[in-house]
Amino acid sequence: MKIAVCVTQVPDSETRINLAAPASELDQSGFTRVLNPYDAFAVEEAVQIKERLGADCEITAITIGGDKVLETIKKDCLAVGCDKAIRVNDDAMIGADSMQVAKVLAAIIKRDGYDLVLAGKQTIDGDSGQVGPMLAEYLDCGHASVVTKLELADGTFTATREIEGGAEIVTGTLPAVITCQKGLNEPRLPSLPNIMKAGMKPQETVTCADLGIDVPPAHTTITTYTPPAPRAACRIVENEDPAAAAKELARLLRDEAKVI
Amino acid sequence: MADPQSVDFYRFSRNLSDEERSVRDTVRRFVEQSFMLDIRRHFADGTFPVEIIPELGAMGLLGPSIHGPGCAGLSATIYGLICQELEWGDSGLRSFASVQGSLVMWPIATYGSDEQKNTWLPELAAGRKIGCFGLTEADHGSDPGGMETRAVRDGDGWVLNGSKLWITNANMSDVAVVWARCDEGVVGFLVERGVDGFSTNTIHGKYSLRASDTGELVFDEVRLPESSRLPDARGLKAPLACLNQARYGIAWGVVGAAIDCYETALRYAQERKQFDKPIAGFQLVQQKLVTMLTEIVKAQGLCQQLGRLKDDGINEVPMVSLAKRNNVAMALDCARTARDILGAAGITDEFSPGRHMANLESVKTYEGTHDIHTLIVGAEITGLPAYR
Repeated sequence: MKIAVCVTQVPDSETRINLAAPASELDQSGFTRVLNPYDAFAVEEAVQIKERLGADCEITAITIGGDKVLETIKKDCLAVGCDKAIRVNDDAMIGADSMQVAKVLAAIIKRDGYDLVLAGKQTIDGDSGQVGPMLAEYLDCGHASVVTKLELADGTFTATREIEGGAEIVTGTLPAVITCQKGLNEPRLPSLPNIMKAGMKPQETVTCADLGIDVPPAHTTITTYTPPAPRAACRIVENEDPAAAAKELARLLRDEAKVI
Repeated sequence: MADPQSVDFYRFSRNLSDEERSVRDTVRRFVEQSFMLDIRRHFADGTFPVEIIPELGAMGLLGPSIHGPGCAGLSATIYGLICQELEWGDSGLRSFASVQGSLVMWPIATYGSDEQKNTWLPELAAGRKIGCFGLTEADHGSDPGGMETRAVRDGDGWVLNGSKLWITNANMSDVAVVWARCDEGVVGFLVERGVDGFSTNTIHGKYSLRASDTGELVFDEVRLPESSRLPDARGLKAPLACLNQARYGIAWGVVGAAIDCYETALRYAQERKQFDKPIAGFQLVQQKLVTMLTEIVKAQGLCQQLGRLKDDGINEVPMVSLAKRNNVAMALDCARTARDILGAAGITDEFSPGRHMANLESVKTYEGTHDIHTLIVGAEITGLPAYR
């Protein structure tokens, strides 16, 4: 079985974004970049599938990005158990939108042919959640998104999806695109010897031209980043009688805040 | 995730390889995920989280720079970075790894027979077996040459009598590296738990290193075969060389504790408001923070250079002494300053500096006290040993 894991690098969730006024670009110089946390579930799932299937399984991590992504690929993909990595390094893809990303990933996956494509359900920076489903469209294959349990059997998959208020079980045929949600597994940390060996695993770097495709056009452009509105001052219910205070708080939460 | 690069004011990370940075970041994540949630409870209860030991082994964190069966043989710099991240968590965690790696696996790898290496190193590296190191005695700390534990030849073997005190991992160890005096000088043995006449006791009532097992080893007519002696360990310089390995790890480790204190104090000072502004905005607090940061940067510089020298085969005792002495005192000062900035909050276990502060009192004393390291460097530069 050939498994592709589509991964990307995002700013660490503790990154402080200093934005005093609306701006068209973010100053990213101080960002610490890490593997998109949902992609870690995809990597772990691939490694667990390989552990079940044995040597007859190869995992390829696929990413788009500049040289900064290499450390993440080594540490969080190759050291954890992916067998090789393919990176699209193309200046024209800087700031690419979801459709551009999906088209380029599709070009690699079509070129090499994979039985299963795993990805995070969304990135924690762009948050679109679109790349996985778009990728399935371009590959003309089935997909299941926001998956918390995945079983494979004889060319088919059964995926449990998280939906509002419950779960949905989807079956389909491989190849397929599965996007991974927290709960699917517990991503492992790499061992030291595996970190040291990761650099020796094969890594391929390509441009869109190498893949024989034109850089796909952008369909959307980010025009402005705005800082969140400052939080309104907190209101304190003052009443010496706790029972009366609680009653008043409940009334405010129901009638004014409309949260209960 | 807290970012280990955040206290890298002088961009020392640039001198690290991708692999070294990955190891550092991975160990930090491991400590956060597997250790930090329970450290307050273990410190309060005076227990070591034994369940973490196989995890340390699986991650390859036990004796990572040792060359031998089942060992990774990585660089001294990587070993240092591991110590830094473990002690960012707690000195007790780093102490466990220091003893297992530098004081048990290292002497077995360096002085042991092939049989001893093959028997013990893979088990110790995997965390399936635990080791301790017995040199210090109740009446012989800074002057281990005065040790009273005796080994006497008995036919093909030996009889061991005496006791060792202040031994990290004593009560949970499967094997003890024990140093004793015999007619020819100091010799080392591997003493397994369960051997007749060998027992261990726990030291209770510690203020410091509470999340660490500290105890006593007692040898009462313990009969040992010749095969349990470390064949290539000759004289007192053998155990002292082990300590030089461990001190190297301490010099790195305490920087981790200092970083945690500094970051905790900085965050607190930025959030805590008095006189209508964050206390970080006051000159006296800024001076404290800048002093902490400056000392951390200097200590990081020492460690980085020491690591590269060690990787090049230069591991001179006085250089390690200087770094251990400076960095532990630095970390202790940082812990005290951080506690000060935290005000009343600093005296509770809601915040880590008080715990680091208590731990570092032990670290200042063990593996050569601050004063003894002063005298080692003093002897080096003057040619006049003050302790003889």
